[in-house]
Amino acid sequence: MNFLKSGIKTVLGAPEPGQQPSVAETVERLVERASNSTLLEDRRDACRALKALSRKYRLEVGAQGLDTLRQILELDRADNETINYALDTLNNIVSPSQFEEEEDKPNIPMNIGDQFTEMFIKDPHNIQLVLDLLDEHDFRVRLSTVQLLISLLTNRTKDIQEIILDKPMGVSKMMDLLGDTREVIRNETLLLLIKLTKGNANIQKIVAFENAFDRLFEIVSSEGYSDGGIIVEDCLLLMLNLLKNNSSNINFFKEGSYIQKMLPMFNIPEESEEVGWSPQKVSNVHCMLQLVRTLVSPSNSAQIISNCQKIMKNVGLLDALCNILMASGVPADILTETINSVGEVVRGDASNQEFIGNVIAPSYPPRPAIIVLLMSMVNEKQPFSLRCAVLYCFQCYLYQNEVSQASLVQTLLPSSSDVSNLTSGQILCGGLFSSDVLSNWFSAVALMHALIDNTTQKEQLLRVLLATNIGSNPVSLLHQCTTLLQQTTKLQSKVALLMLLSQWMSSCPAAVSAFLQVPGGVGYLVNQTCSNEHDDNEYLLQGMSAFLLAICINFNDDSVQTYSKESLKQLLVKRIGVEVFTAKLSEVCKHELYNKAAKHPQLRVGCPVDVLIDYEFCRLFKSLEGVLSQSLETRAVNGGGAGEADLEQYKALIRQQDARLHELVHQLDALAQQAQGLQSALNDSLAANSLLKDENTLLKAQVSANSIPTTQPAATQPPLPDPKLGEYEERIEQLNDEVTRLNGEMTRLNEEVSRLKGELKAAKDEEKNSAEEMEKLKKDQDDLLYLLANYDSKTNEYKLRLLQLGEKVEDDEPTDEENLT
Amino acid sequence: MAYAYLFKYIIIGDTGVGKSCLLLQFTDKRFQPVHDLTIGVEFGARMITIDGKQIKLQIWDTAGQEAFRSITRSYYRGAAGALLVYDITRRETFNHLTTWLEDARQHSNSNMVIMLIGNKSDLESRREVKKEEGEAFAREHGLVFMETSAKTAANVEEAFINTAKEIYEKIQEGVFDINNEANGIKIGPQHSTAGAGGAGGAGAGGAPPGGCC
Ligand SMILES: Nc1nc2c(ncn2[C@@H]2O[C@H](COP(=O)(O)OP(=O)(O)OP(=O)(O)O)[C@@H](O)[C@H]2O)c(=O)[nH]1
Ligand SMILES: [Mg+2]
Repeated sequence: MNFLKSGIKTVLGAPEPGQQPSVAETVERLVERASNSTLLEDRRDACRALKALSRKYRLEVGAQGLDTLRQILELDRADNETINYALDTLNNIVSPSQFEEEEDKPNIPMNIGDQFTEMFIKDPHNIQLVLDLLDEHDFRVRLSTVQLLISLLTNRTKDIQEIILDKPMGVSKMMDLLGDTREVIRNETLLLLIKLTKGNANIQKIVAFENAFDRLFEIVSSEGYSDGGIIVEDCLLLMLNLLKNNSSNINFFKEGSYIQKMLPMFNIPEESEEVGWSPQKVSNVHCMLQLVRTLVSPSNSAQIISNCQKIMKNVGLLDALCNILMASGVPADILTETINSVGEVVRGDASNQEFIGNVIAPSYPPRPAIIVLLMSMVNEKQPFSLRCAVLYCFQCYLYQNEVSQASLVQTLLPSSSDVSNLTSGQILCGGLFSSDVLSNWFSAVALMHALIDNTTQKEQLLRVLLATNIGSNPVSLLHQCTTLLQQTTKLQSKVALLMLLSQWMSSCPAAVSAFLQVPGGVGYLVNQTCSNEHDDNEYLLQGMSAFLLAICINFNDDSVQTYSKESLKQLLVKRIGVEVFTAKLSEVCKHELYNKAAKHPQLRVGCPVDVLIDYEFCRLFKSLEGVLSQSLETRAVNGGGAGEADLEQYKALIRQQDARLHELVHQLDALAQQAQGLQSALNDSLAANSLLKDENTLLKAQVSANSIPTTQPAATQPPLPDPKLGEYEERIEQLNDEVTRLNGEMTRLNEEVSRLKGELKAAKDEEKNSAEEMEKLKKDQDDLLYLLANYDSKTNEYKLRLLQLGEKVEDDEPTDEENLT
Repeated sequence: MAYAYLFKYIIIGDTGVGKSCLLLQFTDKRFQPVHDLTIGVEFGARMITIDGKQIKLQIWDTAGQEAFRSITRSYYRGAAGALLVYDITRRETFNHLTTWLEDARQHSNSNMVIMLIGNKSDLESRREVKKEEGEAFAREHGLVFMETSAKTAANVEEAFINTAKEIYEKIQEGVFDINNEANGIKIGPQHSTAGAGGAGGAGAGGAPPGGCC
């Protein structure tokens, strides 16, 4: 042995590794010896050496020795010492953690223990070998076996669980170890069982069947319950494993009267205030509270919850929890968890709810515990998680309990005679309108929970009046909430108020009616819904506004004329459009925090900014979303229910088209007149043009006739000097241009003109008149020039007249359109 | 809730023979017409009275499917009684009884009381296994026998209660070591204080003289 040790030392400490046998070679030699030596002592020594090497060189030992070690477990069972070395070596090889000795060896893979575990369990028989060793009573062997199993389970929980389940009595064997009188083994077995039961219902049931709860309660009680050490915590962790999501075991726990056995866990001695709570005690009590909550968790079946709640009340567990709530010196996180636990123990159980409603806190003056809790909820200085817990507890207190819901609303009603004491309603109203956004949110949500499935309270709450300013008239709570919704810029407050109003107004036409009468309420919702901002929270606000708007339509009893069911629908269709509306609505459940909230009744957020959506709102939304969007979508398809609305829509359409028609007729008339005017002007010009041409020809002829007596021809002849002739020619050319232009215009207007042949006849009459005028013009050339020069202004005059006609038409139109909107 | 004794039962037998239905009829007085395949094991409990004593029955309904066989084996050891069920309308479930019995005997404690049950007696027209065959098998292997119907509840109470009586008698005879919980028997918390059963039951055998306190 000594020789071997020093041998290893020389190997490891050798300055020239090339000449010395490498680690791999040494390991190989040792493995060879452990496997083949006929002498037990030799094999034992080899195992001892392998164990010594296995921390620093687990790669080498594991790679070469795994098979041999397994073989030792099988063949050398008679020698505990050898077995023990083999077990410890194996344990080092598969260890999930890194050894100190390995720290300077970067080439060792991080998951090496995991890899060796995989190799080891490839043959499930190897696990059987280890399990068989549990029968060995020897302390070292048993302890090492348990530790090896813990390592294996840590690395490959699922695989090992399945292998063990498949071995007859595999689980039972481990359970037996819990009865081992040697505490070290018992404690180590607890750790083993915690690993073994993690997430495997079948194993959990077998462990429970094997009287685990009896054993565990025995240990917890012998260790002094919450004052015990970490072993108490381990027992509780194992119990939690056995019960979490395992209804069969919860049923067994309840039927086995184990709830009664939990009671001493919650006896908090009076002197605890001075002594203070040790960290271990905090951990122990925390686990105990988790145990309570696991039994009555809202995710369990209703029957299990109800049974457990009744037992907890009957055996005094609820009472004990309330005592912790009222005790002084309780650490904040324990207090928080106790509040959560009390909540779940009373949730939906009328008698338990009544019980905590009657608990009086030892404050001065004495106040109901509920009041004291609510005061903490709206107190900014209290820890965030505690405030969340109070909200949850209060929600549980109201859950499915018409009495507690009614008594909350009652405290707000004008008839309420209790003016001297602070009431829950007053606290919540204070919180609702406080400047602390979390208080807004908590209070709105708390209030909302008094209204769930309770039409009576929804209507009662409408009667609540608030005195806002001295001297001004009191306004209703609903009015004030709506006003605040429009005024606040804080997201959390907005969402909270939208949730409160949604819950309040759903299935309550009276509340819808009240809301519709609040100035600006509907407009605000429409604008919010139409808003085009792009981020998740904006989408949420748009969707929630759409939701509330849809509630206004669906639960509308037509008592507010301006916002009847139909007119709101019209508004929605016109301003938003059904498709956009449905799309916005669907945004709500896409929000990350919506999905978080929808999972569990308790608000489970880590920080105040994540406080946004309440579980019950999600439920309401889920139950109504389909109905609401469907009622809007089907309108076009079926003529049945939505017939009246359809008719209205068509009427509106017809009115619109009618107005457009009028407009077009007027335009046509105007164009016809314009065409007519242009036509006559053109004719005038043409006539004038031809006249001038004739005159021009005549003059030219005259000029040529008088060409021989050049000197004094003008004396007897009409005075027509040469320059004037050139002027005329110029003008004729101008007129020709004008004619071309007008011809173009003619082509453009041909269609109108053809349709107005009748009117053109009248134009032709005028043309005759023009011709007559032109006769006069012939006599007076200056007049003719004047007429020609004024052609443009004449055209303008026509246009003006047309415009006048046009204006007359437009005067009629707006009155029609006003009827439509 | 106080009981004099607590007995642990298991219900075993091929899949579909009606094990879960028998338990449901016994604990909830209901019948479940749809085969809701048991996965692993399900727990049920009920209080009965024998000889004026309150006895709590804790019953583990196992899965008959082959895949769960090794899980089922984990429950033999700690059980005081077993209901071995076959379906009178399916002969193969009767044929498998030997295998079941071997398994049970191998893994349970030797004192475990086994009740053989031919279930679905309401389906007389489809019967494949004669009542006499069941009786003969029971006699041959030293079992108590009964035909039941989880549907009509015929003999269901009796099956569970008679098993309990058998165990109770064994306790009186001192066959069971009642202080060893591995036998599937527990003494109730209030047994010594003449408990819920009243004075009438106190005289019975005197086997457990003040188990606790
Ligand atoms: N008619 C009739 N049908 C029965 C009776 N008992 C059970 N069944 C029917 O038989 C089917 C199987 O019953 P289960 O109790 O689920 O069978 P099981 O033995 O628990 O089956 P596994 O859980 O797979 O082991 C169901 O459809 C039952 O409705 C009975 O007494 N009469
Ligand atoms: Mg079943």
